[in-house]
Amino acid sequence: MRKPVSELVERYQNNLYAAAFNVCKNAEDAEDVVQDTFICYHTNKKDFENEQHIRAWLIRVAINKAKNANRTFWRQNKLSLEDYMETLTFETPESEALFETVMKLPEKYRIVIHLFYYEDYTIHEIADILKISESNTKVRLSRGRALLREALKEEWEDDK
Amino acid sequence: MTNKEKYKQAFSVLHTSENFSLEVEKMALLKRKQRMNIAAAVAAVCILLIGGTGTAYAANVGGIQRTIQLWIRGDQTDAALEVNQDGSYRMSYQDENGTTVEQAGGGVAFEADGSERPLTEEEIMEEINAPEVKYEEDGSVWVYYYNQKMEITDKFDEDGVCYVKLSGAGETLYMTVKYQMGWATSTNSYISPKGFNCISPSEGD
Repeated sequence: MRKPVSELVERYQNNLYAAAFNVCKNAEDAEDVVQDTFICYHTNKKDFENEQHIRAWLIRVAINKAKNANRTFWRQNKLSLEDYMETLTFETPESEALFETVMKLPEKYRIVIHLFYYEDYTIHEIADILKISESNTKVRLSRGRALLREALKEEWEDDK
Repeated sequence: MTNKEKYKQAFSVLHTSENFSLEVEKMALLKRKQRMNIAAAVAAVCILLIGGTGTAYAANVGGIQRTIQLWIRGDQTDAALEVNQDGSYRMSYQDENGTTVEQAGGGVAFEADGSERPLTEEEIMEEINAPEVKYEEDGSVWVYYYNQKMEITDKFDEDGVCYVKLSGAGETLYMTVKYQMGWATSTNSYISPKGFNCISPSEGD
């Protein structure tokens, strides 16, 4: 099945942006990633099983492209994470602290945490999106949670 | 509030900027045009190359043509190969879609005294059988070598360097890949990324 790209843009652009930002920590790069991902969908003509398959594919491509953005030579001297955070309006100081703590985690834990807590994916689905084993996904999630708990104390529940 | 609710609240601040344009169809068209321009430039270079070797090629009529077994993206296929005395070669094979693909290359090697000599057939076969690094549109990166196909997307370190050990044709190859900056192999050990395709003098230090 295929869905019109305009419909997918409307529905998923902010999810892709959040996933891309989570990896590359840069607003401009994350926007480029979202755009490239939808262009890739538009030109690819790949056939999908259902909408969940499309969503997982879009997120996988966005994560790949965000990782690629991290490796390119051209991403220097752009707005820093700290400066970008000043432009964001958090609902509570706790939200800001959580956001900041997550962004300080190593990338491999950060993206697993994001897919689990923001996108509501299961361990099995995260492993499939990131093309890593389920046991590796579990380890990354567990270590990421431990680091969050250590930094945020009682603000982060023990949800093992 | 559960952790999931807290997380979603914290990350709900992230959204694309107001002036962010997502006219995907227009962007795709622009990108396709850009790609076609690059393809046209590559085609022009190929014509120049073929034109440039035309004289030498004509002088070497009677290059040996034969069929070889070739690994293309992990699949074995038959290819017609013609090696000329000037060290150049022409090869054609059918890809997985049945399209005939023509490939030409080869050239000369420099001896220790600086003199040139045509590449030997063995050296040409080494070039043809060299590993291939492919950057796919979905952002994934793959290495192809003989019957092997390996995804290396997540294997790059913070400096964009990835090390891959390949086995094939009875030998082990140690491959160093610099993200979109080429690769180098050795049969002994991994070549330092500073040893090839450096973009600034300091990188080679």
